[in-house]
Amino acid sequence: MTAELTASEWRGSGTYSSGAALDLLRVVRINEEIKRVVSVAFKINIMALNAIFLAKRAGNAALGFGVLSNELRVFSKDLRESMMALTRQIHELVSEVSVVLQESRQDAIFRRAATEAPDHPKLAAVLGVRDTRHAAREATISTLRRGLRLAVDDVARLVELGGVLAKSAKIEAAYGASFASSLGQFSGEFDGIVEEIRSSLDNLRRSSFFGGSA
Amino acid sequence: MKTTQTIFEDGDHKWTAIVRDPAKPEYIIDTNEYLVQHGGQALLLDPGGLEIFPAVFSALSSEFDPSKLSGIFASHQDPDIISSLALWLEFNPEMRCYISWLWESFIPHFGGTAETFVPLPDEGASIPLGGLQLQAIPAHYLHSAGNLHLYDKQAKILFSGDVGAALLPADKSGLFVEDFSTHIRHAEGFHRRWMGSNEAKRQWCERVSHLDIDMMCPQHGAIYRGEDIQRFINWFDGLHVGVLRS
Repeated sequence: MTAELTASEWRGSGTYSSGAALDLLRVVRINEEIKRVVSVAFKINIMALNAIFLAKRAGNAALGFGVLSNELRVFSKDLRESMMALTRQIHELVSEVSVVLQESRQDAIFRRAATEAPDHPKLAAVLGVRDTRHAAREATISTLRRGLRLAVDDVARLVELGGVLAKSAKIEAAYGASFASSLGQFSGEFDGIVEEIRSSLDNLRRSSFFGGSA
Repeated sequence: MKTTQTIFEDGDHKWTAIVRDPAKPEYIIDTNEYLVQHGGQALLLDPGGLEIFPAVFSALSSEFDPSKLSGIFASHQDPDIISSLALWLEFNPEMRCYISWLWESFIPHFGGTAETFVPLPDEGASIPLGGLQLQAIPAHYLHSAGNLHLYDKQAKILFSGDVGAALLPADKSGLFVEDFSTHIRHAEGFHRRWMGSNEAKRQWCERVSHLDIDMMCPQHGAIYRGEDIQRFINWFDGLHVGVLRS
Protein backbone atom coordinates (compact mmCIF):
# COMPACT_ATOMS: atom_id res chain seq x y z
CA MET A 1 0.00 0.00 0.00
CA THR A 2 1.27 3.46 -0.83
CA ALA A 3 0.96 6.60 1.23
CA GLU A 4 -0.67 8.34 -1.79
CA LEU A 5 -3.91 6.38 -1.44
CA THR A 6 -6.94 8.42 -0.49
CA ALA A 7 -8.81 7.62 2.69
CA SER A 8 -11.72 5.99 0.83
CA GLU A 9 -9.34 3.85 -1.23
CA TRP A 10 -7.59 2.87 1.97
CA ARG A 11 -10.91 1.75 3.41
CA GLY A 12 -11.36 -0.42 0.33
CA SER A 13 -14.76 0.98 -0.63
CA GLY A 14 -14.66 -0.60 -4.08
CA THR A 15 -17.43 -1.64 -6.45
CA TYR A 16 -17.80 -4.91 -4.61
CA SER A 17 -19.44 -3.28 -1.63
CA SER A 18 -21.13 -0.44 -3.48
CA GLY A 19 -22.99 -3.02 -5.67
CA ALA A 20 -24.50 -4.67 -2.60
CA ALA A 21 -25.23 -1.28 -1.02
CA LEU A 22 -27.01 -0.19 -4.21
CA ASP A 23 -29.04 -3.40 -4.26
CA LEU A 24 -30.03 -2.88 -0.65
CA LEU A 25 -31.11 0.67 -1.43
CA ARG A 26 -33.20 -0.58 -4.37
CA VAL A 27 -34.83 -3.27 -2.24
CA VAL A 28 -35.61 -0.69 0.43
CA ARG A 29 -37.28 1.51 -2.23
CA ILE A 30 -39.29 -1.47 -3.48
CA ASN A 31 -40.35 -2.16 0.09
CA GLU A 32 -41.54 1.45 0.48
CA GLU A 33 -43.63 1.12 -2.71
CA ILE A 34 -45.10 -2.16 -1.44
CA LYS A 35 -45.99 -0.50 1.87
CA ARG A 36 -47.82 2.20 -0.11
CA VAL A 37 -49.86 -0.43 -1.99
CA VAL A 38 -50.62 -2.34 1.23
CA SER A 39 -51.99 0.82 2.79
CA VAL A 40 -54.15 1.51 -0.30
CA ALA A 41 -55.37 -2.11 -0.37
CA PHE A 42 -56.65 -1.63 3.18
CA LYS A 43 -58.54 1.46 2.01
CA ILE A 44 -60.27 -0.56 -0.74
CA ASN A 45 -61.60 -3.01 1.84
CA ILE A 46 -63.36 -0.18 3.73
CA MET A 47 -64.62 1.29 0.44
CA ALA A 48 -66.03 -2.06 -0.65
CA LEU A 49 -67.87 -2.39 2.65
CA ASN A 50 -69.39 1.08 2.20
CA ALA A 51 -70.31 0.18 -1.39
CA ILE A 52 -72.22 -2.89 -0.16
CA PHE A 53 -74.26 -0.72 2.29
CA LEU A 54 -74.90 1.84 -0.42
CA ALA A 55 -76.08 -0.85 -2.88
CA LYS A 56 -78.41 -2.29 -0.20
CA ARG A 57 -79.94 1.15 0.36
CA ALA A 58 -80.35 1.68 -3.41
CA GLY A 59 -82.26 -1.62 -3.63
CA ASN A 60 -83.36 -2.81 -7.05
CA ALA A 61 -81.78 0.17 -8.79
CA ALA A 62 -78.31 -1.04 -7.76
CA LEU A 63 -78.50 -4.82 -8.02
CA GLY A 64 -75.59 -4.98 -10.46
CA PHE A 65 -73.63 -2.54 -8.34
CA GLY A 66 -74.25 -4.78 -5.31
CA VAL A 67 -72.75 -7.77 -7.09
CA LEU A 68 -69.73 -5.67 -8.04
CA SER A 69 -69.32 -4.43 -4.45
CA ASN A 70 -69.03 -8.00 -3.23
CA GLU A 71 -66.47 -8.69 -5.94
CA LEU A 72 -64.57 -5.62 -4.78
CA ARG A 73 -64.36 -7.04 -1.26
CA VAL A 74 -62.99 -10.28 -2.64
CA PHE A 75 -60.56 -8.27 -4.78
CA SER A 76 -59.36 -6.24 -1.78
CA LYS A 77 -58.84 -9.43 0.25
CA ASP A 78 -56.88 -11.07 -2.59
CA LEU A 79 -54.84 -7.92 -3.06
CA ARG A 80 -53.96 -7.71 0.63
CA GLU A 81 -52.91 -11.37 0.70
CA SER A 82 -50.76 -10.90 -2.39
CA MET A 83 -49.14 -7.83 -0.90
CA MET A 84 -48.44 -9.68 2.36
CA ALA A 85 -46.71 -12.42 0.35
CA LEU A 86 -44.69 -9.72 -1.44
CA THR A 87 -43.74 -8.22 1.94
CA ARG A 88 -42.47 -11.59 3.15
CA GLN A 89 -40.40 -12.00 -0.02
CA ILE A 90 -38.96 -8.53 0.28
CA HIS A 91 -37.97 -9.15 3.91
CA GLU A 92 -36.14 -12.28 2.87
CA LEU A 93 -34.36 -10.29 0.16
CA VAL A 94 -33.42 -7.50 2.56
CA SER A 95 -31.93 -10.06 4.89
CA GLU A 96 -29.89 -11.76 2.13
CA VAL A 97 -28.66 -8.52 0.56
CA SER A 98 -27.71 -7.19 4.02
CA VAL A 99 -25.48 -10.22 4.55
CA VAL A 100 -23.88 -9.64 1.14
CA LEU A 101 -23.26 -6.03 2.11
CA GLN A 102 -21.60 -7.08 5.37
CA GLU A 103 -19.56 -9.79 3.64
CA SER A 104 -18.48 -7.51 0.82
CA ARG A 105 -17.15 -5.04 3.34
CA GLN A 106 -15.04 -7.82 4.81
CA ASP A 107 -14.01 -8.90 1.30
CA ALA A 108 -12.72 -5.41 0.60
CA ILE A 109 -10.57 -5.70 3.74
CA PHE A 110 -9.31 -9.15 2.75
CA ARG A 111 -8.44 -7.86 -0.71
CA ARG A 112 -6.48 -5.03 0.87
CA ALA A 113 -4.69 -7.65 2.96
CA ALA A 114 -3.93 -9.54 -0.28
CA THR A 115 -2.33 -6.37 -1.65
CA GLU A 116 -0.17 -6.07 1.46
CA ALA A 117 0.67 -9.77 1.64
CA PRO A 118 0.62 -10.91 -2.01
CA ASP A 119 0.71 -14.63 -2.85
CA HIS A 120 -0.21 -15.59 0.70
CA PRO A 121 -1.56 -19.15 0.28
CA LYS A 122 -3.80 -19.09 3.38
CA LEU A 123 -5.30 -15.76 2.36
CA ALA A 124 -5.93 -17.05 -1.17
CA ALA A 125 -7.65 -20.12 0.33
CA VAL A 126 -9.87 -17.95 2.54
CA LEU A 127 -10.77 -15.73 -0.43
CA GLY A 128 -11.59 -18.87 -2.45
CA VAL A 129 -13.95 -20.19 0.25
CA ARG A 130 -15.58 -16.78 0.52
CA ASP A 131 -16.03 -16.56 -3.26
CA THR A 132 -17.81 -19.93 -3.26
CA ARG A 133 -20.04 -18.75 -0.43
CA HIS A 134 -20.81 -15.51 -2.30
CA ALA A 135 -21.68 -17.41 -5.47
CA ALA A 136 -24.21 -19.50 -3.50
CA ARG A 137 -25.68 -16.39 -1.92
CA GLU A 138 -25.85 -14.59 -5.26
CA ALA A 139 -27.76 -17.58 -6.67
CA THR A 140 -30.22 -17.36 -3.75
CA ILE A 141 -30.67 -13.64 -4.36
CA SER A 142 -31.25 -14.23 -8.08
CA THR A 143 -33.95 -16.79 -7.25
CA LEU A 144 -35.57 -14.41 -4.77
CA ARG A 145 -35.33 -11.58 -7.30
CA ARG A 146 -37.07 -13.68 -9.97
CA GLY A 147 -39.71 -14.81 -7.47
CA LEU A 148 -40.38 -11.23 -6.44
CA ARG A 149 -40.68 -10.07 -10.04
CA LEU A 150 -43.18 -12.89 -10.79
CA ALA A 151 -45.15 -12.00 -7.67
CA VAL A 152 -45.26 -8.33 -8.73
CA ASP A 153 -46.53 -9.44 -12.17
CA ASP A 154 -49.24 -11.55 -10.48
CA VAL A 155 -50.35 -8.55 -8.45
CA ALA A 156 -50.38 -6.44 -11.61
CA ARG A 157 -52.75 -8.95 -13.23
CA LEU A 158 -54.96 -8.86 -10.16
CA VAL A 159 -55.03 -5.09 -10.33
CA GLU A 160 -56.11 -5.28 -13.98
CA LEU A 161 -59.14 -7.18 -12.70
CA GLY A 162 -59.67 -4.39 -10.17
CA GLY A 163 -59.59 -1.93 -13.09
CA VAL A 164 -62.29 -3.88 -14.91
CA LEU A 165 -64.41 -3.93 -11.72
CA ALA A 166 -63.99 -0.17 -11.38
CA LYS A 167 -65.07 0.45 -14.98
CA SER A 168 -68.07 -1.88 -14.58
CA ALA A 169 -69.00 -0.10 -11.34
CA LYS A 170 -69.02 3.19 -13.24
CA ILE A 171 -71.45 1.76 -15.80
CA GLU A 172 -73.67 0.20 -13.13
CA ALA A 173 -73.70 3.47 -11.20
CA ALA A 174 -75.41 5.15 -14.15
CA TYR A 175 -78.40 2.82 -13.59
CA GLY A 176 -78.65 3.78 -9.95
CA ALA A 177 -81.62 6.16 -10.37
CA SER A 178 -81.63 8.57 -7.41
CA PHE A 179 -78.43 6.93 -6.09
CA ALA A 180 -76.63 7.36 -9.40
CA SER A 181 -74.65 10.36 -8.16
CA SER A 182 -73.41 8.66 -4.94
CA LEU A 183 -72.68 5.41 -6.74
CA GLY A 184 -70.87 7.34 -9.47
CA GLN A 185 -68.76 9.18 -6.92
CA PHE A 186 -67.86 5.91 -5.26
CA SER A 187 -66.91 4.15 -8.50
CA GLY A 188 -64.82 7.18 -9.52
CA GLU A 189 -62.92 7.06 -6.24
CA PHE A 190 -62.38 3.35 -6.61
CA ASP A 191 -61.10 3.83 -10.16
CA GLY A 192 -58.65 6.45 -8.83
CA ILE A 193 -57.34 4.07 -6.20
CA VAL A 194 -56.83 1.28 -8.70
CA GLU A 195 -54.88 3.73 -10.87
CA GLU A 196 -52.76 4.64 -7.85
CA ILE A 197 -51.94 0.98 -7.27
CA ARG A 198 -51.24 0.44 -10.97
CA SER A 199 -48.81 3.36 -10.94
CA SER A 200 -47.00 1.96 -7.87
CA LEU A 201 -46.73 -1.44 -9.53
CA ASP A 202 -45.36 0.16 -12.70
CA ASN A 203 -42.70 1.83 -10.53
CA LEU A 204 -41.86 -1.54 -8.99
CA ARG A 205 -41.55 -3.24 -12.37
CA ARG A 206 -39.30 -0.47 -13.65
CA SER A 207 -36.96 -0.77 -10.64
CA SER A 208 -33.34 -1.20 -11.61
CA PHE A 209 -33.31 -4.11 -9.15
CA PHE A 210 -35.22 -5.98 -11.88
CA GLY A 211 -33.02 -4.53 -14.60
CA GLY A 212 -35.28 -1.54 -15.27
CA SER A 213 -34.39 2.15 -15.42
CA ALA A 214 -35.97 3.42 -12.17
CA MET B 1 2.23 -1.83 6.43
CA LYS B 2 2.96 -2.34 10.12
CA THR B 3 6.33 -3.57 11.24
CA THR B 4 7.15 -6.39 13.61
CA GLN B 5 9.73 -6.07 16.31
CA THR B 6 10.84 -8.86 18.59
CA ILE B 7 10.82 -7.56 22.15
CA PHE B 8 11.62 -10.85 23.90
CA GLU B 9 13.08 -14.13 22.74
CA ASP B 10 14.20 -17.19 24.66
CA GLY B 11 14.24 -20.38 22.61
CA ASP B 12 10.75 -20.89 21.21
CA HIS B 13 9.32 -18.36 23.64
CA LYS B 14 8.88 -15.06 21.86
CA TRP B 15 7.04 -11.76 22.10
CA THR B 16 6.58 -9.75 18.91
CA ALA B 17 5.21 -6.23 18.79
CA ILE B 18 3.25 -5.32 15.65
CA VAL B 19 3.45 -1.57 15.46
CA ARG B 20 3.39 1.71 13.52
CA ASP B 21 1.74 1.78 10.12
CA PRO B 22 2.95 4.85 8.19
CA ALA B 23 0.09 4.42 5.68
CA LYS B 24 -2.60 4.51 8.37
CA PRO B 25 -4.90 7.54 8.02
CA GLU B 26 -4.69 9.95 10.94
CA TYR B 27 -8.37 9.66 11.82
CA ILE B 28 -7.81 6.10 13.07
CA ILE B 29 -6.07 5.79 16.42
CA ASP B 30 -2.75 3.98 16.26
CA THR B 31 -2.66 0.62 18.03
CA ASN B 32 -0.06 -1.91 19.08
CA GLU B 33 -0.70 -5.61 18.69
CA TYR B 34 1.41 -8.28 20.36
CA LEU B 35 2.03 -11.88 19.38
CA VAL B 36 3.13 -14.32 22.09
CA GLN B 37 4.65 -17.57 20.84
CA HIS B 38 5.57 -20.60 22.91
CA GLY B 39 5.96 -24.29 22.10
CA GLY B 40 4.88 -23.76 18.50
CA GLN B 41 1.61 -22.07 19.52
CA ALA B 42 0.72 -18.40 19.35
CA LEU B 43 -1.70 -16.03 21.03
CA LEU B 44 -2.52 -12.65 19.50
CA LEU B 45 -3.21 -9.88 22.01
CA ASP B 46 -5.76 -7.18 21.12
CA PRO B 47 -5.72 -7.88 17.35
CA GLY B 48 -7.17 -4.49 16.49
CA GLY B 49 -10.03 -3.16 14.41
CA LEU B 50 -11.42 -4.16 11.03
CA GLU B 51 -9.79 -1.28 9.24
CA ILE B 52 -6.26 -2.12 10.29
CA PHE B 53 -6.65 -5.86 9.69
CA PRO B 54 -4.68 -5.87 6.39
CA ALA B 55 -1.70 -4.15 8.00
CA VAL B 56 -1.73 -6.42 11.08
CA PHE B 57 -2.33 -9.54 8.99
CA SER B 58 0.54 -8.93 6.61
CA ALA B 59 2.93 -8.08 9.44
CA LEU B 60 1.86 -11.08 11.51
CA SER B 61 2.13 -13.40 8.49
CA SER B 62 5.79 -12.58 8.18
CA GLU B 63 6.20 -13.95 11.70
CA PHE B 64 3.63 -16.74 12.11
CA ASP B 65 1.08 -18.73 10.11
CA PRO B 66 -2.26 -16.98 10.87
CA SER B 67 -4.19 -20.22 10.37
CA LYS B 68 -2.26 -21.72 13.29
CA LEU B 69 -3.11 -19.01 15.82
CA SER B 70 -4.49 -20.84 18.81
CA GLY B 71 -6.20 -17.86 20.32
CA ILE B 72 -6.87 -14.19 20.68
CA PHE B 73 -6.77 -12.35 23.97
CA ALA B 74 -8.98 -9.27 24.09
CA SER B 75 -8.32 -6.94 27.02
CA HIS B 76 -11.81 -5.51 26.61
CA GLN B 77 -14.61 -4.96 24.11
CA ASP B 78 -13.67 -1.80 22.21
CA PRO B 79 -13.72 -1.77 18.37
CA ASP B 80 -10.03 -0.89 18.14
CA ILE B 81 -9.35 -4.00 20.23
CA ILE B 82 -11.42 -6.76 18.71
CA SER B 83 -13.68 -5.70 15.82
CA SER B 84 -11.48 -7.70 13.41
CA LEU B 85 -12.37 -10.96 15.18
CA ALA B 86 -14.53 -12.34 12.34
CA LEU B 87 -11.67 -11.91 9.87
CA TRP B 88 -9.17 -13.82 12.02
CA LEU B 89 -11.70 -16.59 12.54
CA GLU B 90 -11.82 -17.10 8.76
CA PHE B 91 -8.29 -18.50 9.01
CA ASN B 92 -8.96 -20.75 11.95
CA PRO B 93 -12.61 -21.14 13.00
CA GLU B 94 -11.45 -23.29 15.94
CA MET B 95 -9.47 -20.42 17.42
CA ARG B 96 -10.50 -19.28 20.91
CA CYS B 97 -11.10 -15.74 22.07
CA TYR B 98 -10.30 -15.00 25.72
CA ILE B 99 -12.32 -12.11 27.08
CA SER B 100 -13.85 -10.95 30.37
CA TRP B 101 -17.09 -12.85 31.06
CA LEU B 102 -18.79 -9.46 31.06
CA TRP B 103 -18.42 -9.17 27.27
CA GLU B 104 -19.09 -12.80 26.40
CA SER B 105 -22.45 -12.03 24.79
CA PHE B 106 -21.45 -8.64 23.37
CA ILE B 107 -18.34 -9.57 21.39
CA PRO B 108 -20.24 -12.12 19.22
CA HIS B 109 -21.66 -9.03 17.48
CA PHE B 110 -18.19 -8.84 15.90
CA GLY B 111 -18.25 -12.55 14.96
CA GLY B 112 -17.62 -16.02 16.36
CA THR B 113 -19.85 -18.74 17.76
CA ALA B 114 -20.68 -19.93 21.28
CA GLU B 115 -17.59 -22.17 21.10
CA THR B 116 -15.26 -19.29 20.20
CA PHE B 117 -15.35 -17.52 23.54
CA VAL B 118 -13.58 -18.40 26.73
CA PRO B 119 -15.09 -16.15 29.41
CA LEU B 120 -12.53 -15.07 31.98
CA PRO B 121 -13.71 -14.55 35.58
CA ASP B 122 -13.29 -11.21 37.36
CA GLU B 123 -10.41 -12.53 39.47
CA GLY B 124 -8.44 -13.46 36.35
CA ALA B 125 -7.33 -16.86 35.10
CA SER B 126 -4.50 -18.87 33.59
CA ILE B 127 -4.33 -19.08 29.82
CA PRO B 128 -2.31 -22.03 28.52
CA LEU B 129 -0.04 -21.57 25.53
CA GLY B 130 2.17 -24.42 24.38
CA GLY B 131 3.04 -25.47 27.94
CA LEU B 132 3.34 -21.90 29.22
CA GLN B 133 0.80 -20.49 31.67
CA LEU B 134 -0.05 -16.85 30.97
CA GLN B 135 -1.97 -14.96 33.63
CA ALA B 136 -5.00 -12.79 32.93
CA ILE B 137 -4.75 -10.00 35.51
CA PRO B 138 -7.83 -7.99 36.63
CA ALA B 139 -7.85 -4.37 35.46
CA HIS B 140 -11.59 -3.71 35.68
CA TYR B 141 -12.76 -0.14 35.11
CA LEU B 142 -9.37 0.65 33.56
CA HIS B 143 -11.05 1.68 31.42
CA SER B 144 -13.68 -0.93 30.62
CA ALA B 145 -16.00 -2.43 33.26
CA GLY B 146 -14.67 -5.86 32.30
CA ASN B 147 -10.96 -5.37 31.62
CA LEU B 148 -8.05 -7.78 31.87
CA HIS B 149 -4.32 -7.52 31.29
CA LEU B 150 -1.98 -10.39 30.48
CA TYR B 151 1.14 -11.25 32.43
CA ASP B 152 3.88 -13.56 31.23
CA LYS B 153 5.82 -14.51 34.35
CA GLN B 154 8.58 -16.20 32.40
CA ALA B 155 9.23 -13.32 30.01
CA LYS B 156 8.42 -10.77 32.75
CA ILE B 157 6.16 -8.88 30.38
CA LEU B 158 2.84 -7.29 31.27
CA PHE B 159 0.46 -6.50 28.43
CA SER B 160 -1.43 -3.59 29.97
CA GLY B 161 -4.13 -2.76 27.41
CA ASP B 162 -5.08 0.90 27.68
CA VAL B 163 -3.16 1.44 30.92
CA GLY B 164 0.09 3.16 30.03
CA ALA B 165 -1.32 4.19 26.65
CA ALA B 166 -0.04 7.43 25.17
CA LEU B 167 -1.27 9.39 22.18
CA LEU B 168 2.08 10.18 20.65
CA PRO B 169 2.78 12.86 18.06
CA ALA B 170 4.13 11.71 14.70
CA ASP B 171 7.71 12.67 15.55
CA LYS B 172 7.70 10.44 18.64
CA SER B 173 7.14 7.04 17.12
CA GLY B 174 9.84 5.08 18.96
CA LEU B 175 8.79 1.69 20.24
CA PHE B 176 10.17 2.24 23.74
CA VAL B 177 9.77 5.07 26.23
CA GLU B 178 13.09 6.93 26.22
CA ASP B 179 12.36 9.91 28.44
CA PHE B 180 9.61 9.16 30.97
CA SER B 181 8.85 12.76 31.98
CA THR B 182 8.39 13.83 28.35
CA HIS B 183 6.48 10.72 27.40
CA ILE B 184 4.01 10.81 30.27
CA ARG B 185 2.67 14.20 29.12
CA HIS B 186 1.18 12.37 26.15
CA ALA B 187 -0.44 9.85 28.50
CA GLU B 188 -1.88 12.15 31.16
CA GLY B 189 -5.03 13.45 29.46
CA PHE B 190 -5.87 9.98 28.20
CA HIS B 191 -5.63 8.42 31.66
CA ARG B 192 -7.54 11.19 33.41
CA ARG B 193 -10.43 10.91 31.01
CA TRP B 194 -10.52 7.22 30.13
CA MET B 195 -9.76 5.58 33.45
CA GLY B 196 -13.05 5.62 35.31
CA SER B 197 -12.28 4.69 38.91
CA ASN B 198 -9.66 5.89 41.39
CA GLU B 199 -10.41 2.86 43.57
CA ALA B 200 -9.84 0.45 40.68
CA LYS B 201 -6.67 2.30 39.74
CA ARG B 202 -5.41 2.01 43.34
CA GLN B 203 -6.06 -1.73 43.37
CA TRP B 204 -4.35 -2.22 40.00
CA CYS B 205 -1.24 -0.32 41.14
CA GLU B 206 -1.11 -2.44 44.29
CA ARG B 207 -1.57 -5.68 42.33
CA VAL B 208 0.93 -4.88 39.61
CA SER B 209 3.63 -3.59 41.94
CA HIS B 210 3.94 -7.16 43.27
CA LEU B 211 4.69 -8.56 39.82
CA ASP B 212 8.18 -8.93 38.47
CA ILE B 213 8.01 -6.89 35.26
CA ASP B 214 10.74 -6.04 32.75
CA MET B 215 8.41 -4.61 30.12
CA MET B 216 4.96 -3.08 30.31
CA CYS B 217 3.31 -3.10 26.87
CA PRO B 218 0.29 -0.86 26.29
CA GLN B 219 -2.09 -1.05 23.32
CA HIS B 220 -1.30 2.54 22.27
CA GLY B 221 2.00 4.38 22.42
CA ALA B 222 5.36 3.12 23.63
CA ILE B 223 6.61 0.25 25.79
CA TYR B 224 7.87 0.95 29.33
CA ARG B 225 11.04 -0.82 30.41
CA GLY B 226 13.06 -1.20 33.59
CA GLU B 227 12.64 1.58 36.14
CA ASP B 228 10.11 3.38 33.97
CA ILE B 229 7.59 0.72 34.96
CA GLN B 230 7.74 1.64 38.66
CA ARG B 231 7.79 5.31 37.66
CA PHE B 232 4.60 4.74 35.73
CA ILE B 233 2.92 2.86 38.60
CA ASN B 234 3.82 5.67 41.02
CA TRP B 235 2.66 8.32 38.58
CA PHE B 236 -0.62 6.51 37.90
CA ASP B 237 -1.17 5.93 41.62
CA GLY B 238 -1.00 9.66 42.24
CA LEU B 239 -3.14 10.67 39.27
CA HIS B 240 -6.73 11.71 39.88
CA VAL B 241 -8.73 9.89 37.21
CA GLY B 242 -12.34 9.79 36.07
CA VAL B 243 -12.52 13.53 35.44
CA LEU B 244 -13.72 15.34 32.35
CA ARG B 245 -10.98 17.98 32.44
CA SER B 246 -7.75 18.20 34.36
